Amino acid sequence: MTTELTVNGNLRRVHNPPMTPLARVLREDLHLTGTKLACGEGFCGSCTVFVDGDAKASCLIALGTVAGSSVRTVESMASPRGPLAPVQQAMKDMDAVQCGMCFPGVLASLTALLDEVSHPDRQQVEGALVGNICRCTGYERIVQAVLGIDRTANPADQTGAGA
Amino acid sequence: MSDSIGKNHPRRDAEDKLRGRTMFTVDTDTGLMLHAALRRSEVPSGRIVSMNLEPARQMPGVRAVVSAPDAPGMYGVMVADHPLFAVDEIRYYGEPLAAVAAETIEQAQAAAEAIEVIIEERPPLLTMAEALAHGAPELHPDWRDYELLAGEGARKGNVSWESTVVRGDVDGAFARDDVTIVETLFRSGRQNQTPLEPRAVIAHVERDRVVITTSTQFPWSVKSGVARMLGIQPADVRVLVPAVGGGFGMKWEMSLEPFAALLARDSGQPVKLVNSRQEEMQTALCRENAEIRIRSAVTASGEIVGREGFVLLDCGAYSGEQPFLASMVTHTLFGSYKLGSARLVSQAIYTNTPPNGAFRACCGTYCVAALERHTDEICAQLDFDRYEFRRQNVLGDGDLGPTGDVFEGDVLGPMLEEMVALRERSTRHQPANDRLLYGTSTTVGTWFILVGPSAATVNLNPDGTATLVTAGVEIGSGSTMQAIPQIVADVLQIPISDVTVREADTDAGGYDGGVGGGRTTVSLGAAGSRAAAEVKRKMLEVAADMLEAAPGDLKLEDGNVVVDGIPSLSVTIKEVAAHAQSNGGPISGSGSFTGTGNVGMVGCAAGHYIGALDLPVFAVHECDVAVDRDTGHVTVLDYRVVQDVGRAINPRAILGQVQGGVIQGLGYALHEEVTFDHLGKSHQQGFETYRVPLAGDAVPVQLEVYEGAPSMGPLGVKGAGEVPILNVAAAVSCAVADAIGRTVSEIPLTPPRVLGLILERDGADVELPHVATVWRDAVVADAQQLLAVAPR
Repeated sequence: MTTELTVNGNLRRVHNPPMTPLARVLREDLHLTGTKLACGEGFCGSCTVFVDGDAKASCLIALGTVAGSSVRTVESMASPRGPLAPVQQAMKDMDAVQCGMCFPGVLASLTALLDEVSHPDRQQVEGALVGNICRCTGYERIVQAVLGIDRTANPADQTGAGA
Repeated sequence: MSDSIGKNHPRRDAEDKLRGRTMFTVDTDTGLMLHAALRRSEVPSGRIVSMNLEPARQMPGVRAVVSAPDAPGMYGVMVADHPLFAVDEIRYYGEPLAAVAAETIEQAQAAAEAIEVIIEERPPLLTMAEALAHGAPELHPDWRDYELLAGEGARKGNVSWESTVVRGDVDGAFARDDVTIVETLFRSGRQNQTPLEPRAVIAHVERDRVVITTSTQFPWSVKSGVARMLGIQPADVRVLVPAVGGGFGMKWEMSLEPFAALLARDSGQPVKLVNSRQEEMQTALCRENAEIRIRSAVTASGEIVGREGFVLLDCGAYSGEQPFLASMVTHTLFGSYKLGSARLVSQAIYTNTPPNGAFRACCGTYCVAALERHTDEICAQLDFDRYEFRRQNVLGDGDLGPTGDVFEGDVLGPMLEEMVALRERSTRHQPANDRLLYGTSTTVGTWFILVGPSAATVNLNPDGTATLVTAGVEIGSGSTMQAIPQIVADVLQIPISDVTVREADTDAGGYDGGVGGGRTTVSLGAAGSRAAAEVKRKMLEVAADMLEAAPGDLKLEDGNVVVDGIPSLSVTIKEVAAHAQSNGGPISGSGSFTGTGNVGMVGCAAGHYIGALDLPVFAVHECDVAVDRDTGHVTVLDYRVVQDVGRAINPRAILGQVQGGVIQGLGYALHEEVTFDHLGKSHQQGFETYRVPLAGDAVPVQLEVYEGAPSMGPLGVKGAGEVPILNVAAAVSCAVADAIGRTVSEIPLTPPRVLGLILERDGADVELPHVATVWRDAVVADAQQLLAVAPR
């Protein structure tokens, strides 16, 4: 069975059974391994991607339900040779990254937050991360990085993967 | 001057990780590879009556099926008691019985399911109390015949290893009429590391060698372990390690690698094997659960004249790390304080549960918790101030450690004073309402750096940059990708970005004792520093020839070799490198390092892999909590850390490690625990039931790094990534006890447990009747002999 969907702006055709988790299609068929699959049960958030503008756990999404949808993954947050998106840059500047497995999902959740709330407070950032497990950092740097993003620098770049 | 050291340098691997282009082992896909699945036991104890692999071999897509006869022999850390596949005996739920490689993972899983196994079940011994009960069957009836791989310890029946300490006249101390005897019990749960990247491996065969790409912390251990299980030479195994998605100790020991190697050898194709999250929850090499009895004889002036301890560590079905950790109990439970006399027995116990392993500061976490709860109980019973008692009794310069080793430097005392200063300048939150009980704690802890052998090579490239080659793995802490090149750049006086780091490969990097135990920055750092020093020496020789100066008159400065005192006479490092190409050849250097092998006082310690600490590391933690008297819920209000780092070569990176380690510790102290049903199956099969800390659970940690303690590490460094978790359970337990005014003897401190203590419910207090009370009766070694050889 063939399913068509738009991934990071490109029309893709995949041939998996309709119940295949989107996360596996992204990783195994489209080789977009930035999306992680660390629990497969929707609890860790490492597979979070944008589906038609909403951040969702792609391990719980059956391929058949997203035919015709637009999916955006971490690989599209910044062009390969271009600058990082502000939220990515903030993580880099704050030295927030450790093992890195959770970040693709963390970035998706935070981008969704920043699309909705331009100046989130601490509680809102923590709330946005409720579905993302990070075992390394103890979260503080991630939270601080978001709170410290200078939203006045280049407002046009703020939407990142959620665009 | 170099600006490599003491600055907040960013990580070189961050941007790839943020862009999603880092390839972890789980991300690697050669396209041509087979996928593997394990058939695991679904009973915790039993005899394999028969196993028929044929149905699996007939399944579609299957290319190889292997089981026990394909991998004879046993492995282990101290005792070779662990077969790769269960041989006749099943000892835990989840134990591998066979492995299958097929074209797809679904085919492999279906084939593994199709294997026919008939098992005669036995009643399992799921707790240490059951395993030690009179008449309990032996999990390993052949224990006497097992090969010892390192060290020597007393063993008997379900006691897989025993470590003992005897120093001074403990009986005499406890019999004195001027002492008060205080006894404390402590029980700690089993903690799963849950790195987000599960254990994963890809194996293939190349030029008759097995090539393994794996998510490990210790490539050279995988190399020797796989060779052992495949019956080949270690030289015929190559191990490569891409970025590792978290380890925390679980990836210290070999685990999945031999299965993939066997299947690759049989199928002739690359084979990928990845644990599912459920497999990781069931078979993680967890921090062991433990049970402790500790008692002390203390005078009215606050002198600890005698201390006695009884410790049981649950090693699970196979001994693994726990024989080593049994001896680390000595340095943690009996560490930190001056003791007039000491006597300890620490035993690793076999149970029908999954084997345990290493987890960040390992046994240190619960030993420090037990010790600090005990210290607070001493203070409560003798009416000492908790801070002053610690300040009076912590080890200082020239004091004897638990096994009679002499400690160097006053460290813990000044750190306690630093903590007072940190506390005074920190903002402290108060409980929001009067339903909340407020408590606070001050705790000290001693851990160690697992020094040991490391090798490094530094190549000076023709363009004047350098390449650092080691078998060091980047597990996320930044030590391999950031700290070691910082040290090399400092020696060579070149920008850190001019030091390329070769990813771990046992065909390129010399032997290394693994990334863990806080050792990376010390041991690999020292090896890297020495390799760079050799490069520097050679560069100066070449430059001396170019500048017609004596090498002794030259110095390195900002990428140049300069004649000291005559800045106009200089050549760039790039010119030196280019000159060397045609004059003597390219420049490279090698360096190596290992520990001193401190053993302590003769006759003091038995069954110890480490008799005394080569390089101790200290921590002081304080915690303020609010406990809801109606629900038992514990809220951490503030958390303060003073950590001995030797020297901070990247302060911001250290804070990142401390924040992460403390939050991991809060999970351990408050809600993380692996428990088992009657079949030895973990109740926690995923993140829904195994609750790790989330963003809303975290508190910002206030850190003061303590510099200047003696260290054999390069530039005086000590590892900073392992120790942040050491005192957390202690700090939380002591603070909760302070808040509720009850004895706290158990972690995790879940709301039901805390509420039980507040309400003084029946069964809320920990009782450990199976943990011995008489040392002579507890030891399985010859007690008289141990006492006879011990220093008085």
